[in-house]
Amino acid sequence: MSKPDFARMKFYCDENLCIDCNGCVVACKEAHEVPVGVNRRKVVTVNEGVVGKEISLSMACMHCADAPCQQVCPTDCFYIRADGIVLHDKDVCIGCGYCLYACPFGAPQFPQDGAFGTKGKMDKCTMCAGGPEETNSHEEFHKYGQNRISEGKVPMCASMCSTKALLVGDADEVALIKTYRAATKGKGIATEPMGW
Amino acid sequence: METNSSFYSKNKAYILTLGGLGVVGFIFVQYMMIFDWAYLLGFTLDMLTGGGVDGIITPSTSTYELMVNTAFGQNYEAIAPEIIRASNERQEFIWWVFVAEIAIFCIMYTIYGRKTATITNPNDQVQVFSLFHRGVIWLNVLIIIALIITGFNITWALRSGGGELPYLLRGTHEITGLIWLPFWLLLSIIAFKDAKILSNNSVLKKIILPGKYKPMKRIIYIVFVMMGAGLLTSGIIIWFLHPDAFTHGQFIQFKRLLLYTHFGASVLIMFFLMDFVYSVLVSVKGNLKGLITGKYPREHLEQLAPDILYDIENGKGK
Repeated sequence: MSKPDFARMKFYCDENLCIDCNGCVVACKEAHEVPVGVNRRKVVTVNEGVVGKEISLSMACMHCADAPCQQVCPTDCFYIRADGIVLHDKDVCIGCGYCLYACPFGAPQFPQDGAFGTKGKMDKCTMCAGGPEETNSHEEFHKYGQNRISEGKVPMCASMCSTKALLVGDADEVALIKTYRAATKGKGIATEPMGW
Repeated sequence: METNSSFYSKNKAYILTLGGLGVVGFIFVQYMMIFDWAYLLGFTLDMLTGGGVDGIITPSTSTYELMVNTAFGQNYEAIAPEIIRASNERQEFIWWVFVAEIAIFCIMYTIYGRKTATITNPNDQVQVFSLFHRGVIWLNVLIIIALIITGFNITWALRSGGGELPYLLRGTHEITGLIWLPFWLLLSIIAFKDAKILSNNSVLKKIILPGKYKPMKRIIYIVFVMMGAGLLTSGIIIWFLHPDAFTHGQFIQFKRLLLYTHFGASVLIMFFLMDFVYSVLVSVKGNLKGLITGKYPREHLEQLAPDILYDIENGKGK
């Protein structure tokens, strides 16, 4: 078996650049037609209102290498692609919520669309890589949203990030960008973003 | 010495039950659980004393820690890994608890056999259960059977590999649980209706059933009421407390705690309900018919349930 020439697909959000505009959240919801009440992506703000200490982070499924959701799922509905993207099969999911209990990031989301508000099947960020259905089929879009990865496109959230705080791609490449940003911090265009 | 002996003989059922549960609980906590008990107790105490449900019981000492606490809740390592273990191991293991209990009943049945009353005057009947009481009992039975079957939805899913049937069972469990609420409440009121809480100043008598019930029956009633309350409270909060992407950090640790409450209470209530079914229906002949008609031959009660007959004749029964 040959050594792969890539690491794993990862998100990275630069807390120095994120301005809490929630553009990524809106882009994700719009692109995948995510129902009301379900947010595959969120922006978390810490020290809100404290000048100089406020930071924001855009978060979704972290596509963990050792994903707790996959470990706890009683139906084994999760699968991890060769490039590290963690996906799940909604036809197998029973909506038990174990993945929500196990996930440290709160990524799994459950629509309350059953009778009397009972939970539906789990929904989460797919890194715009769809699901087990036929690629770019109507079924895949209906259940998981767009499959932009199959078209060689960047996930919608990162492509819409106005300050380029949210990066996605091969972890080696993302690390290189982060290293470059750290080395050139405060120089040229790599200055602190203006906050509103 | 005589006083001690008398105390033991009077409270044998309570002492043995507490002792047995203590031994099982100790083994469970000491050897089969991996989460941080100090944190769990601290979290519970903090919550009960008005500290909030976010699980953050020590203030953040760094920006990083504050960020982690805000986004994810505190101390993920304290409870969450236990959930991981619970899902894959306990679901397979839990069956054996009930297999062991059934084995104990089989041994008891072999040793003690089945009690049967000698009835010489079958027409001398005593009304024990009213139509309303019977309705509550049988609806409870039906709903609890449905809750047990649907409550094992995750275990079914482990075997079936997921799919629509366990998904349907899971949703049904939630709704059936809500339907059970009024019936549990009614049966709890029936169990405690003779408590005379307002007219009796003894604190013990406020929580222990009066009358001549056998201690084991009191224990089963108390477990039914307490664990039922735990199951319904935790179940309904788990269902309706729905942390979204933005409130996840504030509620998820509380939900994890409630999941344990729900699992623990369900095991205890099932254990004692099976005990009840064995002691009332399997080890004694003739009780099932009375649960349908509401009446029992007086001789049956005199020989097998003098406590019930005493209460009825003294106006404390039904």
